[in-house]
Amino acid sequence: MTLVLEAAVLGVLTGGVYALMASGLTLIFGVMRIINVGHGALVVLGAYLSFAASRSLHIDPFLTLVITMPVMFLLGMVLQIVFIRPLKTDREALSVLVTYALALGIEGLLGYFFTANYTQLQAWYDTASFPIGSFRITYVYVFGFALCLAILAVMFLVLYRTTFGASIRATMLNRTAAQLIGIDVDRVSAVAFGIGMATAAAGGVVFGITTAFNPGSHYDLISRLLTIIVLGGLGSLRGAIVAALIMLVSEDITAVLISPVWANFVFFVILVGVLLIRPQGLYGVRVRDRL
Amino acid sequence: MGAFLELVGVRAGYGGGDILQGLDLSVEEGSLTCIVGPNGAGKSTVLRVVSGLLRPTAGTVQFRGESLAGRSPRAILGRGIVQVPQERSLFPTMTVWENVRLGAFTVHDRSLVAKRMAAVCETFPIVAERRHEPAASLSGGQQKIVEFARALMLDPSLLILDEPSMGLDPKTRSLVFNTVRDMNKAGRTLLLVEQNARSGLGIATHGVVMETGRVRLQGPGQEVLDNPEIGRLYLGATA
Ligand SMILES: Nc1ncnc2c1ncn2[C@@H]1O[C@H](COP(=O)(O)OP(=O)(O)OP(=O)(O)O)[C@@H](O)[C@H]1O
Ligand SMILES: [Mg+2]
Repeated sequence: MTLVLEAAVLGVLTGGVYALMASGLTLIFGVMRIINVGHGALVVLGAYLSFAASRSLHIDPFLTLVITMPVMFLLGMVLQIVFIRPLKTDREALSVLVTYALALGIEGLLGYFFTANYTQLQAWYDTASFPIGSFRITYVYVFGFALCLAILAVMFLVLYRTTFGASIRATMLNRTAAQLIGIDVDRVSAVAFGIGMATAAAGGVVFGITTAFNPGSHYDLISRLLTIIVLGGLGSLRGAIVAALIMLVSEDITAVLISPVWANFVFFVILVGVLLIRPQGLYGVRVRDRL
Repeated sequence: MGAFLELVGVRAGYGGGDILQGLDLSVEEGSLTCIVGPNGAGKSTVLRVVSGLLRPTAGTVQFRGESLAGRSPRAILGRGIVQVPQERSLFPTMTVWENVRLGAFTVHDRSLVAKRMAAVCETFPIVAERRHEPAASLSGGQQKIVEFARALMLDPSLLILDEPSMGLDPKTRSLVFNTVRDMNKAGRTLLLVEQNARSGLGIATHGVVMETGRVRLQGPGQEVLDNPEIGRLYLGATA
């Protein structure tokens, strides 16, 4: 029983990190109706940027976010303007190709600069742990969870309490109607891509401290993130958060109850079950007809 | 003399050939101009060109003597042209109040927004009555009225309505038509597209008949309605 509880707690803590990474992905989908297959590579890029910054400046990996989040935000706006904005027709299909190319490009560059060897971000809290009841929890999971929670909170505040946030939500809900009330959807799209990348940077740090990674780590990551946002409902932030928690908690519990080999299986049973009943995902809305 | 809104020789499409094939159209200030025509004639496409959602490949679009060609939807909005599109366009999960408030997204003067909000609530009481409810919870007709309210937040000098009566029951439809006519009587210039040609032309001061991307006939509303050839071609089937 303790084992199950421990697995559940760990699942929630790591689920928070996936929730953040998946939120960025689902936000980008919601605003632009594109599947950003490069999102995993952006998380890995974030991890490498933090790795380089903490090495060269001798600072704590979490502290590097002060640099990497703004950098990734700006880079995201540039990438959106250069690669996504020109796609005027057949955006859904083309964007998959373009962002996949982006992922391969990033993987190549990272391989060139950092080699294909595995690395990991280092900090005092990456193995140190504290007792809670009858088991111990490593600090990094708690710090990572707190960080992701804080960033998600800020994201929700911006989205629901500011005029700019309202323009992002409006663009997600109905692009044409948003344009007709004077919202600059191109600008909203660029900023949303920037926000998505900034959250990828934050997710990347936690990912990089808890996991050994190399430039090819994005393949596994993106497949997990995509299943999360499909379960949650494309374009739903709430859905991304809930689905991430379901994924990580179910995997961790299955791993201790049955076997780690079956960890993914139970999640996929849940996924298929939900999609059979609600094809649009937990919180998704059926994609409306476009103009 | 240039008209209020004037389109000359406009060609536009969606990448697979021109839908508008040299369209000439003018809207006079203070008029209620109604465009009728069969499905797929390009009526909505004309409106998209005027609102800047679609760029014409040829021709000119002038509003009060100034060219609108190549301007962004936002810039066109800034010149006082507001469109309520054919599809439902309220943001479904936002409240009625948020939706109407967003109509003045481009207005930064808070007191002006409050003033317009009050005026709009007076014209359309439903905005205040249902303010906290999500837009999706309203009926189709109520949503249309709230869309009008949202559009009026900019106090537009030209209000464009694309088939506002679509999908409504007869009673709600006449409510919508009355609202449209009242807005025109209050001095607002309206450009209306209507499937139901008889009702549309019935309240219009000017009528325009479109067919396959061109204007077939235009003139005073009643005259177009009474034109025997047009009546036989378009109105019989849709009335
Ligand atoms: N987004 C689009 N992409 C491609 N083709 C389009 C698009 N929108 C409209 N069309 C085509 O352009 C033509 C004219 O469409 P439009 O919507 O302007 O017609 P309409 O006169 O408004 O018809 P309706 O009465 O059905 O609303 C149609 O053949 C339609 O298929
Ligand atoms: Mg139409």
